[in-house]
Amino acid sequence: MNITCEDRERIFLDGTVEEWAALAKHAQDCPACADEVKAWKALSTAAEELRDYRESPALWARIESALRESQARRGGFFRKLAFGSSIPLLWQTALAGALAVLLATAAWYLGTHRRVEEPTAKLLRNSALAEVERTEHEYRKAIDKLAADAKPQLDSSDSPLLASYKEKLVVLDSAIDELTAEAAQNPSNAHLRHQLLAMYQEKQQTLQDVLETKR
Amino acid sequence: MGSVGLTLRWEHRISSVAAGGAGRVESAEIGAQAKRPNGMTPEDAALAAGCQAGDMLAYERLYRAQGLRMRNLARNLLGSQTDAEDAVQETFLKIQRGASGFRGQSSFVTWAFRILVNTCRDMRRSRLRRRERLSDGADPEKPQPREPRAPGAHPSLRMALEHALAELTDHQRQVFLLYEVEGFRHSEIAAMLEISETASKNTLFQAKRNLRSMLEPPRSAEAGGGR
Repeated sequence: MNITCEDRERIFLDGTVEEWAALAKHAQDCPACADEVKAWKALSTAAEELRDYRESPALWARIESALRESQARRGGFFRKLAFGSSIPLLWQTALAGALAVLLATAAWYLGTHRRVEEPTAKLLRNSALAEVERTEHEYRKAIDKLAADAKPQLDSSDSPLLASYKEKLVVLDSAIDELTAEAAQNPSNAHLRHQLLAMYQEKQQTLQDVLETKR
Repeated sequence: MGSVGLTLRWEHRISSVAAGGAGRVESAEIGAQAKRPNGMTPEDAALAAGCQAGDMLAYERLYRAQGLRMRNLARNLLGSQTDAEDAVQETFLKIQRGASGFRGQSSFVTWAFRILVNTCRDMRRSRLRRRERLSDGADPEKPQPREPRAPGAHPSLRMALEHALAELTDHQRQVFLLYEVEGFRHSEIAAMLEISETASKNTLFQAKRNLRSMLEPPRSAEAGGGR
């Protein structure tokens, strides 16, 4: 193989074994190429100085601990996920339907019984009323935040489980609106406020459940 | 022949360079084990399967086989042993999170190194941003002093090379370190950096040319002359 100085850079870039051998042979009679080849290879030798493969005793222990911790966290989530996904679609639909019927019944029961009990309802004192209103305010704040977080998920998903959650939230909102309107007319009615708080708690829990399905 | 800045005469820096020694040539590389077209060996496939199954022993095998090389690469990319160990740990966590998405387009080890290189790049960027915020007018690009490391055969050469490497582009530095220091092939580097093999070869060539010009004293005109 005939090699000249002009081939040198190309061989540096992408030479074959034969070309490198031919360049070495050429360099025996060419001081310029001998210098260039020597300097080029010296970079590879110098690179060896950057190898430091000393054992780091604590590193694996640290990585293993981080991996186990992460695995444990993920494990909890996947167990929940596996439970949800192991239910066939038909059963998920049936479950969602049953949940909706149960909710409608509960809403009807609460509505009818509340009206019966209203005349005998206990009255809240001023200090207790202030406390109740503060608590309701806190619930509304927490619920608004949860609702904002859960909105994209509720809007985008069409799974039967999330559809049932949406339905449940509609029922709860309607009950909350009704109770809030009644409470505005009769703010000291302890029974009304108690039911309103129960509705807030239920809505908060439902939104948390929705968010939980995402994690 | 004058010596400027970090330069040292090659013959003083490298005693073991044999002028006629064989260069590293891709086509002559040894270790051509039975590999699948995507570069996966059976051991590699077993490692991938183990990590996908969450088997801690598989992660430990990966660490025992590649951990020190990963830490060394991270150390050379980040210039700090502490940051390097953080980067390796973060890489293992990312492997754990992403193992189920590994489809075997490259070898598992190549894939792991790709994650490491990206992690180091992100860490460098966030460190730069942090320094920009703190520097308040000072030059954020100015490299941080490197942590001391184990003395090698040529400490001055190592320091000179480290400083010269800091002047290269990120891409050139990555390719040089992966090829010359860690011994990866261009095909593997191409998969890690998502570039072509030709681009990897060109980048290495440019990196070495730049390093030469930074490390070598000014050369006389006739030295590069053709014949």
